[in-house]
Amino acid sequence: MNFIMSNMCFYFIVNIKNRSMIKYHDLLFLLGLMFMITSCKNHDDHESDFDSGKLIFTFEHFADGQELVFDDMKYTNAAGNQYEVTEIQWFISDITLNKRNGDKLLLDEEKFAHYVDTNIPETNKWIIEDDIPAGEYTSISMTFGIKGEKNKPLMYTDPPESNMLWPVNLGGEQGGYHYMKLNGFWKNKDAQREPFNFHLGVGQERDVENNITGFIQNWFEVELPASSFSIEPNETKSIAIRMNVEKWWDTPNIYNHDEIGGKIMQNQQAMKMGVENGKSVFSIGSIGSVFEK
Amino acid sequence: MKRFISFTIVFPALIVLAIWSCVSDNEENFQTDTFSPTPYTIPETAYFPRNLNIPADNPMTVEGVELGRYLFYDGRLSGNTSKDMLMSCATCHIQENGFEAGLDHPKFTDGKTFGLPSEEFPEGLPTTNYMLPIVNAVYNHNGYLWNGFVHESNDYQGSDEQNVPAVRDFHFKNIESLVWMSITSPHEMNSTIERSVAAIDAIPMYKEKFKAAFGTEEITYDRISKAIAQYVRSIVSHNSKFHKYLRQEAELTVQEKRGHDLFFSEDADCFHCHGGSILMTTNEYFNNAKDRVFNMEDHDRHAITGDPMDIGAYRAPSLINIELTAPYMHDGRFKSLDEIIDFYSEGLVYSDFVHPLMKNVRQQGVQLDEEDKAALKAFLLTLTDHELIKSPQYACPDELKEWSGQ
Repeated sequence: MNFIMSNMCFYFIVNIKNRSMIKYHDLLFLLGLMFMITSCKNHDDHESDFDSGKLIFTFEHFADGQELVFDDMKYTNAAGNQYEVTEIQWFISDITLNKRNGDKLLLDEEKFAHYVDTNIPETNKWIIEDDIPAGEYTSISMTFGIKGEKNKPLMYTDPPESNMLWPVNLGGEQGGYHYMKLNGFWKNKDAQREPFNFHLGVGQERDVENNITGFIQNWFEVELPASSFSIEPNETKSIAIRMNVEKWWDTPNIYNHDEIGGKIMQNQQAMKMGVENGKSVFSIGSIGSVFEK
Repeated sequence: MKRFISFTIVFPALIVLAIWSCVSDNEENFQTDTFSPTPYTIPETAYFPRNLNIPADNPMTVEGVELGRYLFYDGRLSGNTSKDMLMSCATCHIQENGFEAGLDHPKFTDGKTFGLPSEEFPEGLPTTNYMLPIVNAVYNHNGYLWNGFVHESNDYQGSDEQNVPAVRDFHFKNIESLVWMSITSPHEMNSTIERSVAAIDAIPMYKEKFKAAFGTEEITYDRISKAIAQYVRSIVSHNSKFHKYLRQEAELTVQEKRGHDLFFSEDADCFHCHGGSILMTTNEYFNNAKDRVFNMEDHDRHAITGDPMDIGAYRAPSLINIELTAPYMHDGRFKSLDEIIDFYSEGLVYSDFVHPLMKNVRQQGVQLDEEDKAALKAFLLTLTDHELIKSPQYACPDELKEWSGQ
């Protein structure tokens, strides 16, 4: 519509200037053409900053240094439990780029969190909307889960994110969603295949009668090791963030499924072990340039 | 000459190009059709999904939904005019029973539905599985039926067995698909598309209603299916006591709150499959530890995905109105809420295909005591939407009561 109006104006101007049309028409024609090119531009088009690039994060899940094979009781954790993984669903949030001078660049602040689901391949990619100023970055930080003030109950109305609900009776007003569901089986001490739900989220403080008296935020921040990178103007960089599954259960705490059992949402001691171990779970899989604009 | 070319050829061409290039932004401004039904809007209630499953080729309109309501309740859709041979959608989907058959159905003992009789099946062919909720279907993007066979990604068309041609109208993608499947299925209306469309075409009142909904009086299968699908999508349940509790419009009793906390915790652990959202279902598929042995002929999720981990897996249905929708499970094995609570408390059986969310399977269940069971049941009863089941908006039109096949 903008274009049509612009050309109507053009036509109008031409006609009131008809006595000097020869003089003006070429110039006006060019102006109209330029207006056409700009007026029909999709309003969603992102204005490109020519001194910036783009970032895409991908997510990969490994065990014992190899890509995780699902539904296969082939792994053994540090406690000696044989285990298999069925699915992993988790939130990463507040990805931040750190510069040598101490500046921090928080990415996609409005969205702030991304859901990764090994059952939904398209979730294994977070295309960052923000332009990334060209330059060198010394490291990448991330939050595992969602910080309490942002983790509002029922803020996600649609699946799959909504299916990560962490009940308000277990998490309060700052614990609306699981940080992670890692579901699988282990071979228990009776050599039976038994399910486990390694679910992390807000924990509970309890009194001697097991009544909930408060909540404990279990999200944590990680500065990813070996995550320095540089980005050139107009470059799109792809960075793979890797979850090394076996590390949830080894350092510094040996996590034994036989001792802890298959459920931990109401077991803060077990979640605390997971959280402490979690700080060494994530690494960089690869950093590469996707294409030049 | 140069000026002539600019103003007689280039400039008009520029205008044409502009109209063409901008048309995507301004499509509505270029419509010449005067047919303009009233858009129907699904109410945006707090915490309900915003992403609605409405196909682009069947936008909801007030007139379409109303036509759909008539067709939903018209037993002549089965192709029959004899009043003892009528079957409508509402024959099985009873509003008062949360749009399911229910245990107290006048025709279907214990809620076990069967099709209209034929020479081969004079008593009617039993339906393969028990019914699923159709309430809040507009929010479901993860397939229909117990195994999700009807899904946007399903590219099959038609059915040789039911003499339905493999053409675009007869797809397996959405609620529209379920209409032709119900018309032609021998364990439902047991009709043919031609017979059913002709039966509706012969009823004078529909000409005007089809014109209001679709712009002309023409009655086709495509329009019938779209209208019924619109009506079904309009059936949303937002007003159970539980919903009102979340909106701080109602209080739960102490016992109901105790049940709520059991439901939404690992103590009863219902919520991982049924409570991921306000819909009281994730619409995902689970083997919920009902059986040790599985019949590969069963129409389970494995029949769709081929994934061994889906053997014995079925949809986790919405628990909205669960009080009204017995019997439970795909095979209707549980007749009461007490039976189902007992099952999850101490009746689970292990198989290699059990979903890991059934983490208490080695303990046979979550082991609730009687007080907890009563509390959990009290909470489940708060999921009944008493406004929905009485709402005139969804009720049988007066002029169809004798034709509804109920």
